Amino acid sequence: MSATMDFFEHQDRARKRTGRLILLFATAVAGIMFSTYLLVMAIFVFGRQKMAEGGEAVEVISWFQPELLGIVALATMAIVGLGSMFKVAQLSGGGHIIAESLSGRQLIPDTTDRVERKVLNVVEEMAIASGTPVPPVYFLDNEPGINAFAAGFAPEDAVIGITRGCAEQLTRDQLQGVVAHEFSHILNGDMRLNIRLIGIVHGILVMGLIGYYVMQMAFYSGASRSHSSNSKGNGMPLIALGLGLMVIGFIGTLFGNLIKAMVSRQREFLADASAVQFTRNPDGIGGALKKIGGFDKGSALDNPNAPVASHMFFSMGIKSGLNAMFSTHPPLDDRISRIQRNWKFEKGDIKAQSTGPGSAAGAMGFAGRSASGAPPPLSIETAVASIGQPTEAHATHAQELIAAIPNSLVDAAREPYGARAVVYALLLDEDDSICNKQLERLAAYADKGVFSETRRLQVAIKSLPDMLRLPLIDLAIPALRALSHSQYVAFRKNVNVLVEADRKINLFEWVLQKIVLRHLEPQFTAVRQPRTAVNQLSVVGDAVSVLLSALSYVGTRDVATAGKAFAIGAGQAGLNDLKQRPLKEARLRALDEALDELAKLTPSAKRTLIAAAAATVAADRKITTGEAELLRAVADTLACPMPPLLPDDALVT
Amino acid sequence: MLETTLLLALSSSMVIAIVLGVGLLLLIFFVVSIYNQLVTLRERCDNGFSQIEVQLKRRYDLIPNLVEIAKGYMKHERETLEAVIQARNSAASATTNASTNSGDAAAITALAGAEGVLTQSLGRLFALSESYPDLKANQNMMSLQEELSSTENKVAFARQAFNDVVTSYNIGRAKFPAVIFSNMMGFPDRPLLEFENAEQIQEAPKMSF
Repeated sequence: MSATMDFFEHQDRARKRTGRLILLFATAVAGIMFSTYLLVMAIFVFGRQKMAEGGEAVEVISWFQPELLGIVALATMAIVGLGSMFKVAQLSGGGHIIAESLSGRQLIPDTTDRVERKVLNVVEEMAIASGTPVPPVYFLDNEPGINAFAAGFAPEDAVIGITRGCAEQLTRDQLQGVVAHEFSHILNGDMRLNIRLIGIVHGILVMGLIGYYVMQMAFYSGASRSHSSNSKGNGMPLIALGLGLMVIGFIGTLFGNLIKAMVSRQREFLADASAVQFTRNPDGIGGALKKIGGFDKGSALDNPNAPVASHMFFSMGIKSGLNAMFSTHPPLDDRISRIQRNWKFEKGDIKAQSTGPGSAAGAMGFAGRSASGAPPPLSIETAVASIGQPTEAHATHAQELIAAIPNSLVDAAREPYGARAVVYALLLDEDDSICNKQLERLAAYADKGVFSETRRLQVAIKSLPDMLRLPLIDLAIPALRALSHSQYVAFRKNVNVLVEADRKINLFEWVLQKIVLRHLEPQFTAVRQPRTAVNQLSVVGDAVSVLLSALSYVGTRDVATAGKAFAIGAGQAGLNDLKQRPLKEARLRALDEALDELAKLTPSAKRTLIAAAAATVAADRKITTGEAELLRAVADTLACPMPPLLPDDALVT
Repeated sequence: MLETTLLLALSSSMVIAIVLGVGLLLLIFFVVSIYNQLVTLRERCDNGFSQIEVQLKRRYDLIPNLVEIAKGYMKHERETLEAVIQARNSAASATTNASTNSGDAAAITALAGAEGVLTQSLGRLFALSESYPDLKANQNMMSLQEELSSTENKVAFARQAFNDVVTSYNIGRAKFPAVIFSNMMGFPDRPLLEFENAEQIQEAPKMSF
């Protein structure tokens, strides 16, 4: 079933589906054009007959009028296209716009409120488990119903919204299931698809609206004209045109909504399945769904803006009078029985359910993998397979990672003042003379407070195990987002100053710079998303060669070993005649340019590339933390969130 | 003949309608993008205020402990200590008040005033504590004082961020095309949060643009 598909396939599917939708959309618009043309012609023919009856001499006109067809085609295209673009523009302002329109309040990362803390902890764990920075979380204070949503155009601007009811009524396990469901929407690119779908339907809706206005206009002008008793009945064709357009728009919207609801329901099942895979606990999300069924408020939302975002929610956000074909979410009992196979819908069962039985864990289709109870053995190859699809093992590991970071550092990372100091302290070199130089620079450029804060954290950071460095950065990202623009500019400058203090960039510095700036930059400056259109690695062979060469030199000084690693990677990429670059052509600067080029690859090509990168790194059968971090940064730059390596993975530090 | 005129009349009126429609859509398109931008900016202001709020609250939580320790040593300074607690309480309620409406000039001014009083009374307490060497040597007192000054740094930093985002919001809403709609769409001018007599203002780093 869908659960066996991986992240890249989902991404590809989402893209293909978008392609198919555009085709469907084009067909629909062509249909609308044709029917509009027929409508206009019918009005003429009808008018001609009337005139002929009145005894007037009329020319015979052909049913085919190229000029008119051209006008109608252009007009339809303009109306539907602009209508769609308008709606997409409205919704693609970023997830926070939608959250704001639902009266969401952004939670600050260092909140002390117990309920808010619980929500943030669950989201933080999920983010670290899936290898992405923690997304902003919005709290819907005035919504007692149990619901949640993910919104945003791209994973970079995604936000998660949680209703008060959801945070208060659900247990931690159930909340985790719900958050995992929302993360699946983010990771699988569902939100982009959804926004496009709404856009298309809206474009068709505008057609009907225009018909409505034309009819209104005709009525008024017809009324005023008949008073002046001038050219009686002239309004009739316009009224007919308006009515016809309304009907066309209505039928089009109906079909559009049907398709939208169909796609949306499918994505919901998929997100449920992913949530089970991540938590390995069908009782969590199953329990949440049952609680919605048994709760008298259900998942209903009070906000008047809720219908616009209905398809983004965890469960039906609006009470719909229409039948199941138009609901954006499958019925609750259907979802529960897919998650928990043994569960049968009985009236009253849902009501009784709050902590109840639920079937044995692993009732889903992929029970085979979890049957043994122990997590499957993982290696760097399976780490690639887990991109975008973290498992329960990752969730537990993420919890352990966060717990292993000293409290003083976690606290600092959760507010903007300390988060800067955390990043600065991470960049301080182990070598005392370089470190002193860096501190000197920092004292000159950064403000006093952050300098002493950095000094204070320096000790804790120094004794921090390497594998905790990236999780700490992931935790710090939301707090850094709260910087003002001028504070961010100063922060970025200081990061560069620290990195360049010793006149060379080491691996970790590059990784940190890459990850931090990639996720913060869009907040402060307009960043263009690369178009993903290249589906053959051979097209960008040069960039692939630079990447694999750079990776092959990591952790070895021996040219022969590096050559072997490169050959293995190139073989994995299916580019056997790729030439390895000499070390001086595979420096981090060159790698930057290569990655920009590689970001244009389609998801399935990216999978091959990341597998090749992983094979290069793992060629010597050991993976250092540095290599794992580099791999993560490379994957992150290519917009593929890579979960942290699990302790079972053959790590040699 | 009449047909062709009818056809022409209809198609020319359609062309006009299309041109008008497209123009209208483009206008709406434009207005929506302005609206979205203003929402983003306003949201950053609100978020900026909650960053200040959380640090201020942390500060308010520290002060009673500080006064409690000081009480043991400064038996004859009850008035000063009470003044600190009173200033702390009114500043806390001013913060709560401002947090529900961080765009309200009166609430923000009230908060700035209450914070000013609190800083003054704390300053007096610290000045007096100079003549109590035992108190100054108290370990708890020292760590509290350290924490308090670090929290004050955080407040100053968050306040700077808040004033930055409010400024860019105010600029954003007053810029040419936006200014036509900003009042209509409910985006009024927002007040900055200025603490009059806080020393941090002088210490706060000067940002160059």
